Order: sequence, then C-alpha cells, then structure tokens
Amino acid sequence: MGIVYLIGDYMTKKFAVIILSIVLCIGVLFTSCSYYSSNSYETQEFLMGTVVLQRIYHKNAEMIAKEVNGRIAEIESVMTINKPGGEVNLLNDAAGEEYVNLGKDTLYVLEKARQYSEISNGAFDLTIGPLVESWGVFSNNPKVPSESEIDELLKLVNYKDINIDLENSTAMLAKKGQIVDLGGIAKGFAADEVIEIYKKHGVESAMISLGGNILTLGGKPDGSPWTIGIRNPRGKDGSYIGIISVKDKAVVSSGDYERFFEKDGVRYHHILDPKTGYPADTGLIGTTIVSDISIDADALSTATFVLGLEEGMKLIESLEGIEAVFVTEDKKIYVTDGLKETFIFRDESKEFEYVEKR
Amino acid sequence: MLKKGDLIILGFAIILIAASFIGVSIYKSSGENARKIAVIIKDNQEIKRIDIDAVSEPMEITVLGEYNDIVLVEKGRIRFKEADCPDKVCVNTGWLTEKGDMAVCLPNKTMIKIEGQSDDVDIVTY
Repeated sequence: MGIVYLIGDYMTKKFAVIILSIVLCIGVLFTSCSYYSSNSYETQEFLMGTVVLQRIYHKNAEMIAKEVNGRIAEIESVMTINKPGGEVNLLNDAAGEEYVNLGKDTLYVLEKARQYSEISNGAFDLTIGPLVESWGVFSNNPKVPSESEIDELLKLVNYKDINIDLENSTAMLAKKGQIVDLGGIAKGFAADEVIEIYKKHGVESAMISLGGNILTLGGKPDGSPWTIGIRNPRGKDGSYIGIISVKDKAVVSSGDYERFFEKDGVRYHHILDPKTGYPADTGLIGTTIVSDISIDADALSTATFVLGLEEGMKLIESLEGIEAVFVTEDKKIYVTDGLKETFIFRDESKEFEYVEKR
Repeated sequence: MLKKGDLIILGFAIILIAASFIGVSIYKSSGENARKIAVIIKDNQEIKRIDIDAVSEPMEITVLGEYNDIVLVEKGRIRFKEADCPDKVCVNTGWLTEKGDMAVCLPNKTMIKIEGQSDDVDIVTY
C-alpha cells in the first residue's frame, strides 16, 4: 500500500512539473506575442494641413480610424479659412454686415476661442486672421508686411468684436475686414471629438496626434502610461528635451520652430502677437500644455507662448488641472508644480538646463 | 530528498523554460520582426515599400507633386535628400534609422516612415 502510494505521488509530481513547465513556456510565448500584438493599428493621413497619426488597440481599429479621419475632414471643411466654403468663411465674409447661422461645432469652438481670448487678455485672439493673412505664414509665399500695414491691421484684431448668440445659433464680427481664425484651437477640438469616437466603439487604449497635438485615451494595453517626448525646439523633428508619462491627457506644444521663414537674415515664426502684430518675442521658444481636454491645451499653448514665462506661468497656475512645460530662449526648462514628479529631464543635445526651483 | 528522476525532470523543465525564452528573443530580433521596412506615402497613398536593411547600393527615389522630393535610401537608413519646398523641414529631419522614425514634407504631402514602434518614447510633440 505504502509503496504504491509513494509511486503514485512520485508520478503525480512528475506530471505536475511537466505540465507546469509547459504552461510557463506557453505563458512566455503568449505574453511576448501579445506585447507585439497585431491589435495595435497605426495609420497616418494628411488632414487639417498637418499629419494626423492614430494608434488604436482594438479589433476594428482600421474601420474606426477611417471614421475618425472622416470626422476630422468634416471639422476641417467647416472651420478652415484656407479653402473656400465652410462656416467660418461665411462668418468672415459677413463681417460688419450681418449675423450668420452656424452649426453646433463651430459655435462651440468659437465660444471656447472667445473665452480663451478673454482669459489670456488677448494673448490668444481668435480675430488674429487679418495679420495671419498678411504675413502669409501658412502660405507658400510668406512676407514681412510694412509697418503701416501692420498698424492698420491691428485695428481689426480684437476678440471683443465677436458677438456670439448661442440662443439663436448665430454670430457676427463687428467690423468689415475682420477675420476669425480658429487655426490655434480647431485641432484641439478635433482631437476631443476623436476620443468620443474611440469611446463609442469601446476602444480603451488609443492615441492620436494632430500635427503633434497629442491626445491619449487610457494608458497602453498593458496598463502603463503613454510616454511622450517634449519636442526640443532647437533639435530636429523627433528629438526631445524631456519625457512625461500620461493617461487620458492632452499634450500640446507650441513653438517658434513649427513654421517659420527667413528674410534678410531674420527668422520669422508663425505665432503672431495680437498686440504687436509681429511674431511673439517674449523669450520663449517652446511651450507644452498638459490637460484633460485637448481644446484647452491647444488654446493655452499659443496663449502662454505669447505671454512669456512669467505671465504664462501665472496663467497656468490660476487654472485648475492644467500643467505646463516652458522652454526659454536661453535654453532653460521650467515646469509647473503638478508636473515636477512625472517630468523626466532627458536632453540628448546637452544644451538645455532644467530649472527645478525658480 | 531529490531522486535522480526528480533531477532529470527538473533539468528538463528548466531547459524547456529557458528554450522558450531564448526562442522568443530570437524571434523578436530576427526575421520579420527585426526587418526595417520604410514606406513612402504621397497624398495618403503608399507609393513605395522598401526593406532598408536589404539595400546594398544607395538609391534615389523621386516623388513628384506640387513640389518635388528626392528620397535617398542606403543600407539601414532613409532620408529626404532634396526638396524644392519652401521650408525644407523634411530635409532637415535628416536620416531615419529606427523603427517609428518619420519625416514629413507637408507642402508636398509626402512622408517617409520606418514601420514599427520606437522602444524609446511613444511619440514626440511638435
């Protein structure tokens, strides 16, 4: 009896070990494969004058990505002023004349843009259009306007001249020649809309970048946060000066490196200061905003860039749930208190200095 | 006390587990997974797909459009060599060598990209 029992026990152990090792092997294979899972779908499209990159973890990712691109194209067609048609063009064409009927999306973005113009005391100004047009920064033939031209155009830039009637879904610009330009905020809105599409399809993990305006849904499939490099404003595309790890956050950068041209040895960038009419020159070369909602980050990255370090920092600290990274002309990096624990300073160029305490 | 049989089984189990780890790491670093595939995209259409590790002689690919771009491919790397667009951002991006690297010529709606994901960060703002 005793011997039989011992043999039985021995055999069970042997099988247990073999089965256990097979399970372990399969486990290794399984986890390794799922990490490189084909569930990760990545795609990029030229939309809204930039590259829209999506990474989606979902079995229907390809179909969802197509729907997303369609939605972005729709938003672009309604809000663009670089192509004919669209509601913002109608609003601009009727400036100083009459109220124009607008759709829900345009009204929402217009009102948000007006609010951020107010909050930033005009550092971000949705009526910047006449200046943008004159400089032609987004055209293929940018130029430096004459001083008298800039002085004339500055009279048309004033966010207080936009009248929005939410009740009747209409809006109007006060003076003829005024131009609303939603370029500094429409991509942020589009990203927020995209996240809604992801959620609708049950996606739990995805990331979208609209020309570097990044919005993440959840974390990565393994539960870890997304790691996002903060662009080195003096490095080439893809180089960075630090890393932040986020889940469910928007990360949007603005900088003098995005679009610029040179004339007579002077470098002119695309972020115009609504007060001077010239490219913002307040000592910053890059700003990055981290927030829950992308439209907020988009507007604030431009606003803080124009405000400069001190004023920009003050504005961000006055707002709930918004964090920022500032990079100055003298190559110093400052972050708001809420980011100090998660910001990793990593500068391969070795040109920048991280100032932890101000 | 471990018997001789136990030791054999134990040894077998350890070898099996080790082998699967080694197998996976070889799988990851060879064959399809290690290959660097570059794609050239123009107006949202893929126009060329190149295994850049398999390129022996440098080659140039001209992408025509509103502006013209010349893409240069060498063993293990790819870049925009020349462009007649106004900003030259694409050329200044330099060589792409790692998975996930991307260079874009916005004016000509052209981009080159090495497929796959970077081991470093998930994405960089701009």
